[in-house]
Order: sequence, then C-alpha cells, then structure tokens
Amino acid sequence: MSSDAHALTEKWAKKAMTPTVEAFHSRIRARVAERLAASGKSWEEAVADPDLELTVDDFTAVEQEFLDTGYRFEMSAQISLEEAPEKYRAPSGIQDTGTAQTDEDGNRIVGTGANVFRVPADVVGTARLVSTVDVVLDMLTNGVPDDTIAIIDDSGGTLTAPILQSFTGVVCMGGTVRSHLGILTREYGVPCLMDARLDGLHDGDRIKVEYTKPPVDVYATENDPSARARIVKLEGTSDAE
Amino acid sequence: MPSDHTYAELLDLNAWIRKNSDAFHWQCTARTVQESKLFPVNPYIAMSYLNAWYRYPSLFRTLEQTMTAEELGDRAREVSSASGIIQNGIIPQFYLGGRQILIDMGMLRPTDALDDVAYVLDFTKRLNLSYHRHHAHILPSDAGHRAQVLPERVVQVFHADAFGVKPGDRLHTAAGRFLAQLSQYAFLSHCECRLGINNSGPYKIGESGEMLVRDVVDLAEGDYPWLDGVAAEVAFNNYTMPVILKDTHFSIVDDWASFEATPSYSHDNVTAIGLYTSDYLSDGYVPVAMDNPATLADFLEHEREVLAKATSDLWNVMAGWTREQLVDSGLLVYYAVPKDLFHIAGIYDQSDWMLVEDRAQRFKPLMNDEYGRDLIAELVGYISLTSQQGNDYTMSKHSGAPGDMWSTIPYSVLADDEFTRGVGPIRSGSTSLPAKSSTWTTTEGRLTLDDANRRAAALRPLPAQEPYRFLDDRWIKDHPGDERAEELYRHTQRRSRLLAGKGAGLSGADIEVLRA
Repeated sequence: MSSDAHALTEKWAKKAMTPTVEAFHSRIRARVAERLAASGKSWEEAVADPDLELTVDDFTAVEQEFLDTGYRFEMSAQISLEEAPEKYRAPSGIQDTGTAQTDEDGNRIVGTGANVFRVPADVVGTARLVSTVDVVLDMLTNGVPDDTIAIIDDSGGTLTAPILQSFTGVVCMGGTVRSHLGILTREYGVPCLMDARLDGLHDGDRIKVEYTKPPVDVYATENDPSARARIVKLEGTSDAE
Repeated sequence: MPSDHTYAELLDLNAWIRKNSDAFHWQCTARTVQESKLFPVNPYIAMSYLNAWYRYPSLFRTLEQTMTAEELGDRAREVSSASGIIQNGIIPQFYLGGRQILIDMGMLRPTDALDDVAYVLDFTKRLNLSYHRHHAHILPSDAGHRAQVLPERVVQVFHADAFGVKPGDRLHTAAGRFLAQLSQYAFLSHCECRLGINNSGPYKIGESGEMLVRDVVDLAEGDYPWLDGVAAEVAFNNYTMPVILKDTHFSIVDDWASFEATPSYSHDNVTAIGLYTSDYLSDGYVPVAMDNPATLADFLEHEREVLAKATSDLWNVMAGWTREQLVDSGLLVYYAVPKDLFHIAGIYDQSDWMLVEDRAQRFKPLMNDEYGRDLIAELVGYISLTSQQGNDYTMSKHSGAPGDMWSTIPYSVLADDEFTRGVGPIRSGSTSLPAKSSTWTTTEGRLTLDDANRRAAALRPLPAQEPYRFLDDRWIKDHPGDERAEELYRHTQRRSRLLAGKGAGLSGADIEVLRA
C-alpha cells in the first residue's frame, strides 16, 4: 500500500458545509499526512504505532491555528462563554427591525411560533427572558413571578428543569414541537410555542400568545406560515425598566 | 494478505451498516439537533462516539465470555432497564459515529480495525435480533415504527392489573403529574438526553384502546455518580407505567422509543394505568403500590414530591459544574448505553463505564460549542462530510443525498487490500466528575456493587432458561394446554393482582371480563 495523504486524493470529495469542521478536519488530515510521510512507514504500520498518534497538543494547536485567523465560535452552553470568553462571540439578542406588522386589533406582532398543544383560550402574561443559570436560580429561590411567559432560547429540558411547571406559558426560540422542551411542556400542560421567530419583543413586555392555534403537524404544517401562532405585544403595558 | 472474513459475512455487515445509517438519519432529522444552555450537548455527543470507538470492542468481547448477545437480549426483554429499545439499538450508531469522525479526520480508513468493526456490529445485530424477537424485526423502523417487544403473558398482566381512571379522579391526576415530573427529572439526570425514557408498543386493547408501555430508567442512586445523595430518596431505579388510552392511535413508536399519536397524546384519554419496577435482579416486573387505586395514588403523589426535590437538588449541583464536568457527564451517559448488559451478566465495573479513555480525552481541545454542533449536524443530519460522499448518481434512502452516514467496509479486504485488525486493548482513562460513593438501588434493596454483581451472576430467570427460553408466542399458539406453557405464564403472573395462577389459556376478552 502507498503512504499517500489520505482523504486529500479521494474521489467524490467535497468541503464540509461549516467553517469549523472544514478548518479542523483539513488541518488534522494535513498533520496525519505529514506524520505518516515523515515516518516512512506504511499506513497499516503507522496507524497502529502509538508513537505516531496525534496528541492533545496537536488538537490544541489545530484550534489555536483557527483562532489565530480571528475566527470566534458561536456559543451554545452558557458555561462555554463564561469559561473561555476569548474563544466565543457574544450572543446576539432578540432582533428589533422596526418592521413588525400589527394584528386585527392594532397590536404589534412581535413573533410567531409552532404551537405544541392547543388550549381553550389565548394567554396573556409578562414576557421574561430566561436564558441563564442566574435567572433560573433567582426564580428558584424567590419564586417565578405571576403570569410569567418565559422566553427561552434553549429547546432543551434542563436549564429550566426546576421551575418549568411554574410558568404561565413558554415561548422557545429554537427546536421543534418534538424537542425536549416541547415534550415536557406538553406533559406539564404548560402552553408552549417552539421554533419562535421574534422581532421587537423585550423583557418585561405584556404579551398575548395565540395558544389556541391548532398544534403544528410536523408532517403537514410545520413549514406553513399560516399555521404558526402569533405573539402580540399589548401596547402601553410593559414592565421593562 | 486477504482478511479471513467471508464475502457473505461482509455482505451482511455492510447491509447492517447501511440499515443503521438510514435508521439513524431518519431519527436524527425527525428529532433535530439538540441544544441546551446548561449542557454543551453536541460536544459531549461527539466525545461519546470517540470513547465508544476505542472501548466497545474489548468490553463486548469480555462480556460474551460470560453471556452471549442472544441471551442478553432475551434477559433484557423480560424487564425494563437501561437495556431497552433505544439503548440496544443505538450502540452500533455511537460506535460507527466514532469511526466516521476519525475517517473524516484522516486518522482512520474504512479498512482499519476490521475485526473490531465486524465483531461489534455482529454483536449488536445479534443483541437486537434477540431483544426484538417477539415481533421479529431488528428495529422498530423495520416494523413501520412499531415496537411490540413484549410477549402476550407480560402484556396480559399489564392489561389485567391496570386500574381504570377518568379525568378528575385522584389517581388520574396523580399519574399525569407523576409522569410530567418523572420526564423532567429523567432529562436532567441524563444530562439533557432522552436515554432515560423508553416507550414500547402499542398493544391493542379491545376495539378502540391501545396500551403504551412507558419506561423511565436510571433514576435512583446507581451507576451515575452525580445521583449520589440527591437521589437517595428516589424509591426505585426504574419505573414502568403501562397506560391504556381510548380514541388514540400510537402511529409511531420509533427506534429511540419515542412515540407520536393521532390525535396527539392527551392525558384526558388515559383510561387505565399501572406501575411497576424491574431490573437485572427482578426476574420480571414487580408491581409498585398496586394494591388498590388509593395506594397507587398515595405512592405517585409522594414520589412526585421526591422527584421534584431531587430535580431541584440535582439542578443546583449541575449548575455549579465546570464545562468539563458538564461534558464528561453527558458523554458518559451516551457512551454507557450498553452498561446494563454488564449488570445483567453480573460483571458491571464502574471503571468500564464512567471513565473517558485517554485516546478520547485528547480530542477535547477541539470540542467548542460550534464545532460540536456543526460536526454532529453534518455527520448525522446533512450527511455532508467528505468521507460520507458517494458517487454523483447516489441517492440515499430518506434524503436522496449523494452519500450515506456510515462508511461501509470495502470488499477489497477480501482480495489484496491491506487492513488493520483493531484498536487494541483499553487504555487508562479519567473523569472530572466526583467518584461514585453510594450503593446501588435495586429491586433487592440497596446493594454494594459486588453484591449486585454476585446476585446477578447467580440469577436464573425461568423465561431465560431452557426449555422455556424458546417457547415463544408462535409455539404457545399450538400448545395452549402444554404444562410448560402453563408454568411459563404462571411464572409471569405470580405477582399479578388478578392473574396469579391463571395460566396460559386466557384471551384478551377474558382479561376484560376479569377487569369488569
């Protein structure tokens, strides 16, 4: 067998879709190829040789080379940004384009989402952003304020685990009706919109959420804009400071 | 030198690899890439695949020196534990995921670790064939997303003993609240993944009813060290709640043991429930507080409070963890999906399942949130990695994409192509998490691990012993009066409130009469 640089000469090759995967994997392939060529060994000999294995130093260098280009990663877990702020971009908040439309009552439509299950009446409450451990801890310690419609940018079920059942409603800026948060809100009977797209919503706004909308059918209506439930801001009523 | 694997063997292995590719792609795209503000989920998923790649071959070879994959599947089918539909089915996926990542990084070729790959895949195939023996499909997706894993004798007990409920009843309300809290706690105790929640069925009940068997596992002090203390009051490690619904069809019970129903699942449509526990020591299902509806409601209300407190306590622990601890815990939950097979065999070792091997640890510097997210999305969602691409005419099963998730084994290893045999023995590992300190919660009480292993090794469940092991429902059909059938049914019925001693002759209609 030859000691060719694996994957650099493969047929039907293509670049990865995403910048981090392409950057990391292409750099790792290059290191493997260099090490193999320098060893003078066949692939079969080299792949089983512990002395030729890539080490934690190699992978640290791969990441550093990419960071040295000025690239910064998107964060997902709050702890990642806290522990390594130099590696991550600061998260963007809810956009406010100023182009939001109004509903039939003249209220500003500040978002839409996929309804998880239908309830008999729309729900009015106060939008409160719940996206950090500190906010959850405060609500766990001091209680969830009445009429809280939690605005959550996390479709998982763990961040809000100890307080989820105390919310009046949930609006989640991610996931689908089948995400963990969707499953849990259905079990608790807490009205919930998933995959919410928000524009102009602020912490403390008084909002009405169209939880009376039929639940989204992921096989039929998931991509139908008319099937999405609306979130409207009740003007002149905000707890925002 | 050609490999000593046969052409027929490789044909079968590659078909199993491709089935896993297609099945996992459907699941992953249906369930979406998971995310969490608390846990770095995708980095830990990627790390778990790598840990599986390096450790599963040695562990499974050791396991089969004690108990075969087929017997493990038979034993697992008789109880609800962390060797259920999702765990058994997902073992090859995690292993192949590690292989594919390394192939895409250029650190591995599809001809590498040939003997390991062949063995792990063969082991997982035999395990799943055995576990799913009753409906004779290897995965629920092969059955049109249906998972009827239980034989009649078990379903009859669940059917007979379920207490009738209706909305507004104390038991109906208590069951709904318990299930919600149980699900919440299971997601947290499993670090944001669904591996604690299994559903099987549905099973037809009368003209318009269907039963879903809802299992939630690994809840009490046991294998996960982070449950030490916070879960000390949780009464049982595994719960099984059979629920019978009216006017509801469970259209999907999938390879991850998740369900979808038409119309959507509503607790208002639940007409009967039961509650059981079981594990590798229980030899079947043990009713929990099933004396009467009031005792069951008492238990559910109390246990819901226990689980609510455990949820808060555990959340407070996890909220104080470092990123590495959050990654390690999640990756170990994923990686350890085969662990209960080792409990069944009586050879469970904490160091086999709660350590991250050095060969996997070295990848941690890569595992920022974005890389983890995009790697998993490309690997199991978009099928967009260069190593996954096929020729320009290729259209994969579900997406039509020109590639497939997991690389097959090149047949050239049967001719003159070179290959390597395996990844070698397990090496040392470590974890950032606190060491396990408490006992194991089992159906025989709180035990030391040595005691639990000793009891498991000594256990000889009747349904897993010959000749009963091979007396399936097809044999029962032709031997309804056979004493062996009677003995097998009476064994399963021995803890039943209504069916104890009734034997093998009952039909579904007879059960309805007994329930009336």
